[in-house]
Amino acid sequence: MLDYIIGLNQKELIRTNNISVKYGEIDIKFPNINLDYGGQLLIIGKSGSGKTSLLNILGGLLSPQTGNVLVNDTDLFSLSNNKRDNFRGQQIGFVFQTPHFIKSLSVNDNLKFSQYMSSKVNQSKIDMLLKKVKLNHLKNASIQNLSEGEKQRISIIRALVNQPSIIFADEPTSALDDNSCNNVVDLLTNLSQENNTTLVIVTHDKRIKDKFPNQISLNDF
Amino acid sequence: MIFKLAWRNIITRPLSSGLSVVLLCSSIMVIVLSMLTMKQMKSKFNENANKIDLVVGSKGSRLQSVLCNVFHIDYPNGNIKLKEVDFLFKHPFVKSAIPISLGDSYKKYRIIGTNSNFINQLYNGSISKGNIFNKPLEVVIGANVAAKLKLEIGDSFNGSHGIEESTHDHEDFPYRVVGILSPTGEIIDQLIITSLESVWQVHPHNDKKGSFDLKTAEEHDHHSHDHKTEVSENNREVTAVLVNYNSPRAKFSIPGIVNQKNALMGAEPAIEIKQLLDLIEPAVNVIYVLSLFIFGLSLFSIVVTLLNSMKDRKYEISMMRVGGASVRLIFISIILEGFFIGLIGSISGLILGHSIMGIMARFLNLKYNYQFSGLVFDGLELVLLFVTILIGMIAAIFPAIAAYRLDISKTLKNKI
Repeated sequence: MLDYIIGLNQKELIRTNNISVKYGEIDIKFPNINLDYGGQLLIIGKSGSGKTSLLNILGGLLSPQTGNVLVNDTDLFSLSNNKRDNFRGQQIGFVFQTPHFIKSLSVNDNLKFSQYMSSKVNQSKIDMLLKKVKLNHLKNASIQNLSEGEKQRISIIRALVNQPSIIFADEPTSALDDNSCNNVVDLLTNLSQENNTTLVIVTHDKRIKDKFPNQISLNDF
Repeated sequence: MIFKLAWRNIITRPLSSGLSVVLLCSSIMVIVLSMLTMKQMKSKFNENANKIDLVVGSKGSRLQSVLCNVFHIDYPNGNIKLKEVDFLFKHPFVKSAIPISLGDSYKKYRIIGTNSNFINQLYNGSISKGNIFNKPLEVVIGANVAAKLKLEIGDSFNGSHGIEESTHDHEDFPYRVVGILSPTGEIIDQLIITSLESVWQVHPHNDKKGSFDLKTAEEHDHHSHDHKTEVSENNREVTAVLVNYNSPRAKFSIPGIVNQKNALMGAEPAIEIKQLLDLIEPAVNVIYVLSLFIFGLSLFSIVVTLLNSMKDRKYEISMMRVGGASVRLIFISIILEGFFIGLIGSISGLILGHSIMGIMARFLNLKYNYQFSGLVFDGLELVLLFVTILIGMIAAIFPAIAAYRLDISKTLKNKI
């Protein structure tokens, strides 16, 4: 099993050891990953290669068949469900291909609820990020009135409002045109750098391949 | 924040949440309405029935005798000779015996011939303006009569024969208002009270049984009155005598003595009213059962509403879990939705029940001659409020369990 060590000579953030998942008769084994604070990693692979499963394991959403995941020296799957939920809220942000929100709440309340779940309510942080993505005029708008592009930008902010250590983005550009694709990638990379947040993107979108020096291809496994 | 989320989840689905609220509200409204009507009816009936130990009237229906002579909501059985009941006024076991004579009304308010004990002893009434009647054709009117008919001291009016509106007025016998009673909330508020002599003067030929037959007012031959004829003492009649005992032994002796007499019948209001309420109670119970059925439907509706809502919101819930919301937090937020639906449904049901009671009270006041009110409260309403909220929360448990069991990874894999 190959080891991928991606670091900036800073403190280690993520370490995986021999993780695998099983779907029916199919076993998918993943490479061991060591990722430092502030690093950026692109995980690429075809459909069915296990990209999303790997992301879900790293984010504590899916228990692996074997192996363990350490985030900030904490073994994710040794925690109880409640503690793991809490840990995820504190340390991890997610961005998905299709952004989903709480439809009954406004943009601001969705972001605030995200902070509330991790006990980090900070309105000025929300205001600052909204300003950064030039959506502060939509602060009190209903989520249902936003365009898909606006929703995706808000979902990136949502991943960052808790000041997490790491952001996992699952196919964040797959449904976007080239221009929007570049904007979203730039936004993700810039904002995560500014907030000293580690970024892990899984995708099969070859358009963004050249933007990340650190890559893991799951097609090799 | 969790309260805001639960609240917003309800109000952004107005149709489905509204249906649950409307069903809950309707069932609570019917329960409250039946409860308040029965409570006030029972309380007023029992309160008044307990004021009088025995109604002595002519033979006929005991219940009718009580309803007519105590509650003034039915027609008299007939009249009795005053001399036949003379023994009651002297009996050692009798604390008070108050004769009453019915026959006429003025704009649907009954005119009662009696003596001042009817006001002072029986109802503890007091005169707020003017004096008690001293001469025939002087009347004291209840507070409601004065307010509704805008009658003042010194005003005159002609009584009509019977209870219903009649074209037949006793034009030669104008009554004059000499006193107005303070409001009591009791039946005398709705009565026009005069002396027995007034009734005898207006109806001088009352020696025939049934001559005050209120149901046949139209048949009453006005021209047969001999207005100058005084009723001889032997032929004086009254409709009933309201008796109160001063000894527990009276209960076992006086009704027996009365009922042995051919022309008399004794009716005990407490017994008659209990029998009447026992008759009404099954009908009220049917209404309760129906409202409980609607109540059950509304709870089923809450379960269905929230379950459907969970299906629509499974991606939202997954996103909340991804964002760090514990299953406990999500469970609580859904239980809170049940809490809010239960709270809104029960409070609106209570308000609606009291409002409709307030509107109905206007009609019931006229029908039963008592002050019904929408502002009467029952301790059971609080229990109803808490039980409804609790059951709303219990109904939310099933959808909450569905959310609790949601597999985030699978949901995200399918859609996101």
